[in-house]
Order: sequence, then C-alpha cells, then structure tokens
Amino acid sequence: MDTKKCYVYAPLEQESRPSKRQRTSKSDPHAGLSERLKIYSKTWAEQEKKVQSTLEEADRATQGKIVDFVAANAPSEDVPRISIPTGLIVAGPSIASHGPYFERLGRGIRDVTNSSYVVLTSGESPNLKTFLKTLINKITSRVEDDDDEEDEIGRSVNSSVRGPKLLNFDLGHVQEWTSRNPVQSIVVAIQDSEAFNTAVLIEMVDLFYSWLDRLPFVLLFGIATSAESFEDRLLGKSLRYLDGQQFDVTQSDDIIEKLFRATIAHPDTEPHIGPNLCRRILERQKDHVQNTQDFVHGLKYAYMSHFYANHATIFLKYDAKFKDFSPDAFEAIRNLPSFRRYIEEKLEAGDTQSVRQLLSSDKFLFEVIEKLIVTVQNALSSLSIAAIVLTRIRESLGITPKVRLSNVWSRAASGELLDSPLLRETMLSIKKTPSDRLARLIDSLISLATEDFGLDAEQLQRELKTLVQDNAGSGPLRSQDDIRNESVRTTVVAQKVLLSKHKAALSEQDKAYSEIVARFYQRLESYFSSALVDPKTLLLYEILVYNLKSPHTEVFQPRPRLAIERALATPHDYLGCECCGNTPDRENTLAGTQPATAIVYQLYLESGAVINATDLWFAFHAIVSKDDEEDQSQTMYVMQMSTISNDTDHTRALFQRALAELKFLGLIKPSRKKADHVAKMMWKGL
Amino acid sequence: MTSAKRKRDDQGAEDTTPRKLRTQPAEDENDSLSELQVQTPSRRGRGLLEENGTPRSILKKSGLANEFNATPKSNRRLTFTTPTKAASKEASNGTPTIVRNADRSARRKSNRSLIDRTINGEDSEDAALGEEDALAQQILSEDEDGQTEERDKEADAQEAIPVPDTPSKRPRGRPKGTGKNQLAAKARKEREPSPPTELPAQEQYFWQNRPGGNKTSNNTLTSQTLLNHDEYFDTMQSYVDRHEPEKAFLLELHSRAYSQWIFELEEGFNICLYGYGSKRAITSDFTAHIYQHLLDQAPCKGTTKTPKIVVINGYTPNVTLKDVLATIASAIIPKGLKLPNQLSSLLTYILDSLARDPPPHPLLVVINSIDSANLRKSLVQSTLASLAAHPSINLLCTADTPNFPLLWDVGLRAQFRFLFHDATTFAPYSVEIDPVEIVNDLLGRSGRRIGGRDGIGFVLRSLPLNARALFRIIVTEQIKAAYMDDGDHDEDEAPTAMSQSKKNAPRAPAGSSQGVVYRRLFHKARDEFVCTSEVAFRTLLKEFHDHQMIESKKDAMGTERLLVPFRTEELQMLLEELLLENAF
Repeated sequence: MDTKKCYVYAPLEQESRPSKRQRTSKSDPHAGLSERLKIYSKTWAEQEKKVQSTLEEADRATQGKIVDFVAANAPSEDVPRISIPTGLIVAGPSIASHGPYFERLGRGIRDVTNSSYVVLTSGESPNLKTFLKTLINKITSRVEDDDDEEDEIGRSVNSSVRGPKLLNFDLGHVQEWTSRNPVQSIVVAIQDSEAFNTAVLIEMVDLFYSWLDRLPFVLLFGIATSAESFEDRLLGKSLRYLDGQQFDVTQSDDIIEKLFRATIAHPDTEPHIGPNLCRRILERQKDHVQNTQDFVHGLKYAYMSHFYANHATIFLKYDAKFKDFSPDAFEAIRNLPSFRRYIEEKLEAGDTQSVRQLLSSDKFLFEVIEKLIVTVQNALSSLSIAAIVLTRIRESLGITPKVRLSNVWSRAASGELLDSPLLRETMLSIKKTPSDRLARLIDSLISLATEDFGLDAEQLQRELKTLVQDNAGSGPLRSQDDIRNESVRTTVVAQKVLLSKHKAALSEQDKAYSEIVARFYQRLESYFSSALVDPKTLLLYEILVYNLKSPHTEVFQPRPRLAIERALATPHDYLGCECCGNTPDRENTLAGTQPATAIVYQLYLESGAVINATDLWFAFHAIVSKDDEEDQSQTMYVMQMSTISNDTDHTRALFQRALAELKFLGLIKPSRKKADHVAKMMWKGL
Repeated sequence: MTSAKRKRDDQGAEDTTPRKLRTQPAEDENDSLSELQVQTPSRRGRGLLEENGTPRSILKKSGLANEFNATPKSNRRLTFTTPTKAASKEASNGTPTIVRNADRSARRKSNRSLIDRTINGEDSEDAALGEEDALAQQILSEDEDGQTEERDKEADAQEAIPVPDTPSKRPRGRPKGTGKNQLAAKARKEREPSPPTELPAQEQYFWQNRPGGNKTSNNTLTSQTLLNHDEYFDTMQSYVDRHEPEKAFLLELHSRAYSQWIFELEEGFNICLYGYGSKRAITSDFTAHIYQHLLDQAPCKGTTKTPKIVVINGYTPNVTLKDVLATIASAIIPKGLKLPNQLSSLLTYILDSLARDPPPHPLLVVINSIDSANLRKSLVQSTLASLAAHPSINLLCTADTPNFPLLWDVGLRAQFRFLFHDATTFAPYSVEIDPVEIVNDLLGRSGRRIGGRDGIGFVLRSLPLNARALFRIIVTEQIKAAYMDDGDHDEDEAPTAMSQSKKNAPRAPAGSSQGVVYRRLFHKARDEFVCTSEVAFRTLLKEFHDHQMIESKKDAMGTERLLVPFRTEELQMLLEELLLENAF
C-alpha cells in the first residue's frame, strides 16, 4: 500500500477490527464530551448566524450597487450598445476574501436579475483560447471533454442549419445557448484581474466588443490595487470599448471590526474570548492574512477548543438540571483556580460552613454555580457594553486618535482599561463638551443602551433639552471646564512673569449646563468603575472566558521549520530518552546515541557553507563508534555485541540515510565546487 | 581591484599619512596574504608584474605589517633576503618600532581596524578578514610558541625579510604565486579559529559565508564508504534503533489526538501534519481509526456501506494530478459513468457531483507528503485547495520539508482551511526516499547506478568496436581534464562567488573541472576515425546515454559537456580495463 500512488482505503482483512485502544486509567478523558460538543454546536450556530448576517450586511451596500449596475445595463432593443458595461470592483488587497465575495455577488446578481454569471480566475485562463473554452463551458454549463466534443458538439451543431461546426472556443456556442436560454445579460467576472496576462485581457475585451451586438456582455473586474493601475495596463483602444464604473468594496479591516463587534464584543456572547487570544487573532489578521474567513475560523477553533478540552464547560448547558452532571464535572469545578481562590476567601472570612458544603455537596455546589454563572455572565456582558460605550463616546466626541472597539475591548477584557490614560482622557474631554455635542452623545448612548446602565440618560436628555431650548445665545452652552471659558493672563510683577488662569464669568444657563455635565460625568465614572472589572478575578472565569494561546497559535501559525530544527538539534526534547539527555552545563551535546540524522545535522550546523562529505563521515563515525565502544563495555545492548565490521556497516548505512534525509528535507544540495562536497542550504534559526 | 587600489594609494602617499598608518596595523601579514588570494588569476598575473616592476609599495606595507606583528622570526628564510636590506632596515627604524608596536594593546588595534574599515569602505572585506586572522593569531601565539614557526615560515616566505625600510629594490620573497598560495592555504588552515559559538543565526550565516571562509579538506570518500542498494538494505534489516521505545511513545502520543482530529475534520477544518520523521505510520493508523469510527457512525452503521477514504502517496515518483482526481472520482462517482478526460473539467465534474448529491459523510482524502516534488506545481496545489475547500471533502495531509508553507499563498491557505499539528515521529523516511540513490546523486556518483565499472564493461562488450573506441576517448579526455584541474579542486565552472575568485589558484582555469566539451570530443573522435559524421557520433553517444554511462550537461557558458559519472581513480581503472580489452 505504501508504494501505490493513490487508492481507496480498504482495511486489511486481518485488521478489519483493530483492537480499540485500551484506556488504562479509570476515568475516561472524553467523559461528557458529546454533551459538551452539543453545547458547542448550539453556541457556535448562534455565533455563525451573527457572522453571516454581519458579512452580508457589510457587502450589501456595494453589492446592491453592482446588481443595480448590471440590471441597468441590460440591453434594450432601441439603443445599440457602443461599449461593454464594465464594473471595476476595488476589492482591496486581501485576495483571499475575493473568492467568497464574488460568490456572494453572483448569488445576488442571479437572484435579482435574469443574468448568467460566471467567475473566471487567472488560473483557468492562461491564454485566450483556454479562457474562452472555460467561459463557454461555464456559461453553457456543459460537462464535456475533448473526446466527446467531436460527437456532441459536432452533432448538435451539424444538425443545425448553421453550417460548419464550431470550434470549442467559439463564442457561437454561447450565442446558440442564449437563443435557447434568453438572458438579460451575460456577466463575466474576472476575479483577479491583476494576475491575468495583459494580452489576454486586451484580446478578451476586443473579442467581447466584436460580439457585443449579439451577446449582452457585462464585465466585472476584481481589482486588488486601484482602478487607475488597472486602466494603465489596458490599451487605449480597449479602454474605448469599455464603459466603466468603480465600486469600492468594504475593506476587510472594517469588516473584521464589524465582525468583532458582532461576535467577540457582543454582550450576549458566551463564552467570551479572552483578551490575549483576541489580540492574537487580530494581530494575525493585521499582519498576515487579512481575511474575514480566517477570522471566523479562528473564532470557531477557539470555541471548539474551549468545549473540547474544558470539562467544566458542561455547565454552560441551557436550563441544566442537577442530574445532568456527573460528579467528575463538579470535581472539575472544584479544581478551577478561581474556585479555589473563592474558597480561600471564604475561609478567610470564616465562612467554614458553606466551604464545607461547597466541597462536599455536589447539590449545593450546583446551586451556587447556577447562580454564579448568571452573575458572572452579567458582569462580562456589562464589561463588553462598557467597552462599546467608551468607543461610542469617543466616536461622538470625535476624539483623536481613533481607537477601534477591538482595541478598547481587549484592554477592557484584560482589566487594564479602568486606570488607562485612554479612559481618563475621554472622561476629561466629556467635562469640556459643549451642549450640542453632549446632546448628540447622550442620544447615541440612549440608542445604544439595550438596558439602562445607571446613567439615567433620558432624564439628563430631558433636562438638557429644556436648557438648550431656553438658550438665547447663538452658540452652544459651555461647561465650566471648557477651555473657552478660561483665559490665561500674563502679568509682569517685579520682573517676574505670572501666569494666572481666569474663569470667565458663567452665565446662568452655562452654570446649569455645567451642573448637568458634572452629573453626567459622575454617573459615567461610577458606571465605568463598576462595569470595568478585571474578569480574571471573577469566579468561574475559566468556564466563561477562553483565553488560551496554546493550541490556537500552533494550529494556525505553525513553525514547521523550527520544529524540524529542534527535533534534529535537540532530539532529546522530543524523544525524552535517557541516553541523549542534555547535560545541565551545556545546551545540547552531541552524543553517539542520538539518531543518526540528528548527529549529522548538528555536525552540519557546525560546518561552513560547503561541507566535505568525507570529513562529515569521519566525524560521524568518530562520534558513533566511540559511543558504541562505551556501550559495548557496558554491555547494555545485545545488538551491539555483533561483529565490529557489522557495526561499521551499520554506521555507514546510517550515515547514508542521514545524508539522504538532510537532502530530502532540503538542507543540503550537491555542490560542484569540490568533489564529494555538499552545500549548506539552511541556517538554523534564520 | 582592492589590491590595485591599495598599491596606488601606497605609491602616492607614503606611510606618513595617518590613514595609512592606521591601515597597516589592521592588515598584518595575513591580510596581504588574503589580498593575494582575492585576486582573480588574470589580475594576479598583472599584479605580479606590477609588483615586480614597482615592488616598493607592497613590500613596504608588508614590512610594516610584519614589524607590527612582532612574532619571533625564524632565520631560515633569510636566504631570500639580501643582507644589505636587512641592515638598512635595522638601522632606520629597528627595534624601537618593534617594541613600541608590541606594546600596543589589542584594544587599540581593534579600534584602529574598526575605524579603518569604516574609512576605507572597499577594503573592508579584506580588513575584516585580516582582523579575524590577526586576532586568532594573537590568541594562538600567546601560549603556543612552538606553532608559530609554521606561520613565520610563511610570513617570511612572503616578506622575505623582517621589516624592510626601503624595500624598493628588494624582490619578493616568493617569486611564484603558487607556492605561496599553497603555503598560505596550509598556514591558514592551521590558524583557522574554531567557529565562534553562540552566534545569532544571521551572524552565523554571514560568518560561514564570509569570503574565503570556507576551507574544507580535499578528502574524498572511498568507494567502500558508500553502500550500494543490496548492502544498504541488508544492513538496515539487521539494524535495531535504540530509540524504538521512544518512537513508539511518540506515536502513542499522537494517537491520543485522533479523536480531536476527527472532531476538527467534522467541523470542516482540514489537517496538516508536520515535523521531523516519516508520518506514514500516523496517517495509516489514523485512517484505520477513522474508518472504524465512520463505520460505527450513522450512515454506515448496520449497513453494508463502507466509509470512503482516499489515500494518496505524494512521495511516489510520477504520481500525477490525474491519478489523484481519478481516484477521488472513483470513490464518489458510481462506476460506469464516463469521466471527463481533461483535468479542469474532471475537477469541476467532481465538485459539481459532490455539490449535487453530497455523500453521507465527507470524503476523507489522506495525502502523504503533500509537499513532495511531484505535487509542488502550483496547478496541483490549487486543485487540491479547491478540493479541500469543498465541504464534502476532508483533507488530512502530511508535509515533510521545513518550508512547506511557502507552497501556499494567502488565497490557497484560506481555501485549505488547515489546522497544523506537530507530528514529529523520528521515524525514518524508508518509503519516501531511497537513501542510496539520493546520496549517490548528492555526491555526483550517479555512475554507480549502472553497476559500476563492471556494468560499463558489460555494456561495452556488446557494442561495436568504434563505440568502445569512442568511450575510451571520452574516458581518456576526462582523465586528462581532471589532471589539468588537479591542484585546484575548488575551481568552479562559474566563478561568480567572491570566495571563488579568492580561492582561485593563479593557474589559468583548465577549461572546467567536469567533463569533456562536446565539440572537442567530436573532433577527437573524427581524428581517430571512430566516426565520420556528427550524425554517426550522435548515434554512438545515444547508446551511452541510454545506458546512463555518460551524462551531458551545459556549463555556465552554455557549452555542452559530456561526462562519465565516475571519479578519477575509477576512471583510471576503467581505462586500464578498456585498454586491456582492446589489446585482445
């Protein structure tokens, strides 16, 4: 089976029922797993719904425009078309999200207009002929291949009155198809216009133009750079054949932010994603992938890991009953660090009674957990709301620099926000806000708040309104802290400059307004200080927040090279054997007991850019045989009691294999500089 | 280049300018040595001429450097000097200079050289080198005085006289470049400082790639060292790795993750396993595991249906995309339907039929070594990606090379939806690679493929006389070429690298190191009446090609070269046999 190229797996007869691996430990590590996964799928389904709706909403505006454009450019009988309607879709540099975008766009166009829609990528169109073949196949949705085409097309075309048979890249096929399936327009979307050969694009435009009187083409170009650079690539003649309109797609940055708001920072989210993980996902987005799909995958994987690995997550079950849980689950809770802390606090407070009950009675613990989970959830969701409120305040006051919700939120979730300069700065600028802005701010907060969060904003709004209505002056009311109400006076007394601040006299209304601002400020402050708790101090934090970097990073951002280098440079890290153990004083030592490839690799590391295989062999031989001798004296391995020559043969074979493996891994290549030399290709750690 | 420049400088400004003074301590004798080595052969020749014509500049410099170096001088080489010069030197700036120079602290020295390097940008490389060697020498000379002799000899060989003051009339100690070079190389090797440890990776890269930094021995492997297939497999069969238990433990460790992997696959992710060691054991074990798992699941349970799993061994030579797609299609599409022939239409056909009538469980595609050379083409990878992106296909693949993620751009990566797992096994790549073949290839011994000399003799016996004669000519020519190249093995066909020009021996490169030029061979063959026309010549060569007795390659200039893939010793023996045979 190993040497077969490809095959459909079928179990060998003798191992048709491979013995299930025996679990030696009493407790099944997967106890309650299916239960937890059920909770997972339910939770994730909700999240996914949010994600989908957010994505659709994000596209909707531009997609609507594009669909309208396509619909508006449907050919009419009376007006002859003089150019191909062309949509330039500037979809941004995140090419990974272009595919899904054009797919969604296609759905939209097909739904709304009676059009045929095909997406073509550069991979499918190395030249015009292939491009046309693919196009024709896609439009007419024929499944045919070269052999059949003779009979099939030949027959169908020959039998028609059209005379000579058409070649398989003749747009006549499309014409024939449209005569059978009348469509409003044929939308051809070029997904990655940058990757197309310019000549192909130019020829394509030419050809489409010449068919325009018979086939209602509409072109859509996906553009990752800019419409200008796209135009630059085409000939003036081709440009004259096109009638372009530009559409800007929401950039993935913004979509990610929206997704973030809808998922991670959403108050109803459960479980929450912790700040570290969240930062990591965002950083990866920013630096590497820029792809909404990937963001969603990261989120999904976080949920998966949380429910898969954390036994205690079973308590996230909806309307759970006590009998649903096994004693193990309660043990899991009792082992949570936050729970231990909670117990210790209780002990310090002298509440031994309840401590005893918590530790011994599952029933009691269950009741406590039930209540606690709700409290903690509320705390977490008010944390999210507070982050949203803060962002909203900054948005409505127009405070620079702009800080995205994702940033604010992850700070809040790590418990850093309360004492942060960000919050202080925001609060200070509230004090200075004039009335018109404050009114807007309060309005937006009211619109935001799903429940009143202790601001009593509506009352403030009412008071503010009456105050503003009474305001006779032209400008907005200003609070006492507004800088315009301050002036700095410079006096020179005895050759010394004195600076003194003077408050301008406040009008009655300004005073009243200042009072409102002060109240608003106070309420907001107390709100923030109550809402912005450090989630890590919350009990059962581990259940409700998933904040582990470990599987996430490795799984999405692997470092395969590092893994291989480490395996070869310090095999002990993986093997954990006694023979090649690291001595404490040195990082890694070459030992003859190590796997042959590891030894050769370490020798390789020490050598220069060109390596003499002979010397490598001598060094290898010296290391290995020395060790063998030691071993033989200790008579540890019976195998090595064989003859010396056999040993050398083994060493030779091992060396050969090690060298071959290094070559296979791409670490060395043949060198022509000298006989029997190999060139080094990789430097460790680079 | 550098040397010419320096010469000019030296001639123009005497040692009086401070810049010069600073230069010289840094470039001690070794520097001048390395400088000599830097030159390309042609330059070298000119340089020699110049030196002989106007030798004073270089000599002065080296003299100063030598004085600076202050190592005890052996008197042996004094024969090269004219005593008068020595005397004049002693008189002019004799001992006080030496004492003063010897007193100079290492710190000042290094500072100077640093400054110097920044000032003379173009000399920097040499200076760096010189500094390195100077440092090494300093360290060495501290405790091993005995070893300095070698060095002194060499130094003297070059300078001929300790510190000449008015060196203009004195000839160079060593008239010939070759001898000096050999000496220099020898001395240098001994003086080579042990590689600095604890360098950061990038520094290590530059250190190891520094010009002239590569000094390797000329040892070659004896033909007994490398085993042939039979010996290799015989030996490996009796070999028991002492790490078997640990490796088994690693496998066991990975097997604990099976249910996690199944969960991940079920959630629509694909899995990629990486790490050192063959991962076939894991994939085959996991395949069996998931097969059982699927057999116990809803669609298959209680029925005769079996789960569909496709295994693709990417490492097998000449596995093609067509094979992959055909196997996948055979798993999901009922037999009897005609499949499209073209790859792209086959792919769309598969995807369409999966979309139209999705299988009860996603089809699992297991690819061993997705990064193998056979599957590295972008078309293959993009096709696999679009397969993997389909919700009805699950992909589990392994990747062996360290840099495999470079196969995929952001778009492909997004399509693949990979989760990566480190699955280091330390298992030998016993099926993936053929060590004997690879090593032979690596060391340019592909001739072993046809069974060595015996094989060639066998083939030749079955060929007509003129073919044998032609082969003899090739072998003779190749041996001749090898002899002409002997002594400077490090000659490359493409002397592009800096190190190359430095190492180059002054002797003009004898064409190239490898093989015989096609044209020349043809003429030779015609002269010996082996063949009359090029067509006949080609026909004869084709026979050799077919039996892999010769290889043809283009060198950097694009000239075709023919090469019998054996080393010189073997060629000699081969030639002997050929001549013997002809005698009969």
